[in-house]
Amino acid sequence: MKVPIRMLGIATSVFWVLLITFIILAAYSVTDLRFDIDEPELRVDPDGQLIFNLPLNIDNGGYYSLREFHITTLFSNAEGLEISWAHTLVPVIPSGEITRINHNVPLNIEEIYQNDDNYLFEDNDLQVSLSVGLNFAEVLPSQISTNFTFPWGAPFSNFNLGQPSINMFNLTHSIISVPMSYDNHAFYDVMGSIDVGLYDDGYSLLSETQELINTPQQSAYSENMELIVSNNSSLDNIQDGYFNIYFSTLMFEHGPLVIPYG
Amino acid sequence: MVEQNKNSKNTIKEITYRVLKASLKAILIYVIYVLVSPMLVPLAELVPDLMSSIESFALIFVALMFLSDLTQDTIFQYFFNTARQIYIIGYLLLSMGNGVMSLSYDNLSLTVNLTIFYGIAVLLSLLGLARSILQAIDYMGKKAENEISFQPIQKI
Repeated sequence: MKVPIRMLGIATSVFWVLLITFIILAAYSVTDLRFDIDEPELRVDPDGQLIFNLPLNIDNGGYYSLREFHITTLFSNAEGLEISWAHTLVPVIPSGEITRINHNVPLNIEEIYQNDDNYLFEDNDLQVSLSVGLNFAEVLPSQISTNFTFPWGAPFSNFNLGQPSINMFNLTHSIISVPMSYDNHAFYDVMGSIDVGLYDDGYSLLSETQELINTPQQSAYSENMELIVSNNSSLDNIQDGYFNIYFSTLMFEHGPLVIPYG
Repeated sequence: MVEQNKNSKNTIKEITYRVLKASLKAILIYVIYVLVSPMLVPLAELVPDLMSSIESFALIFVALMFLSDLTQDTIFQYFFNTARQIYIIGYLLLSMGNGVMSLSYDNLSLTVNLTIFYGIAVLLSLLGLARSILQAIDYMGKKAENEISFQPIQKI
């Protein structure tokens, strides 16, 4: 009986020492881990898709390699509706190595504007849920998660149609001039066209026009658009009418936006 | 009378030896704890109550070890050893919960799955418990053997 008891004692002690050593080394390895998150950026890829890019540098100065390192990002709008998500997996980050990860989240702009057109006309925030998980020292699954907001600049911020003015064009037609302005606060240039239709109070199309636009990011647009209306149209009918506006750019299409005349 | 005096002297000597031995062992464990605990500071920054929890654990652990050494060569030694192992298992199981440690700071939350660690520690404690029980059985077996061998053989 004495020998098995002694062997059991020795084995238990050895395993305890190994376990405690492992815990202490793991604790020290945590202090030697460096996560550097660079400034996230939005860029447009060659296919015209908007990409949220989060560059990460991981300096694993610890004694153990990191397995199954993964980042998951979920974008949602102010109402909590999911817009986009992405998952990046790095199978192994060896001990003593620096690994650079580019976590890219494609953002479907059309879907964002379809779900909530406030993102088209008002600067807003996108809700971001970020979670980073890894298998530390190969046996310790860990996860860090956080929520933050990401500022979203509207491409047609402060969109406004000014007071229309009516002038005679010729004997049969008049010209209606409407000042149109907006600020492009988006992370991309707005290139495309704005189609405007003028309707009377009986929902009949009186005139339409197309304005070509090319507004670089962080700049303002201000132009007068002109609509030619037949003099047969009653001016009163126009006063109670409305504009139907369609936006068509390289990245998205949206409409109609209905704005009452005047 | 001289024999009785000699016996009581030996008993006092034995008790003093045991107290000294148990105290030295307890002090040694405490010194190891004092030396090792600064190494756990990085972990203590993440887990707020870690150091106080380890301190109370070490205190009861050392007390049970002291009592076990004090009652050496009696059945109580194995009682205290078994109690110590059960205490370790109970402590691990209670502190383990579901094995997942969660910490929150501001809107940042950290989750660490310690199930494997706790599992290994509980298994090692179970081995220790099995050893203590085996030692108690061995002690009782030897005691019974001695009692039988000292009984005078009756002639018919």
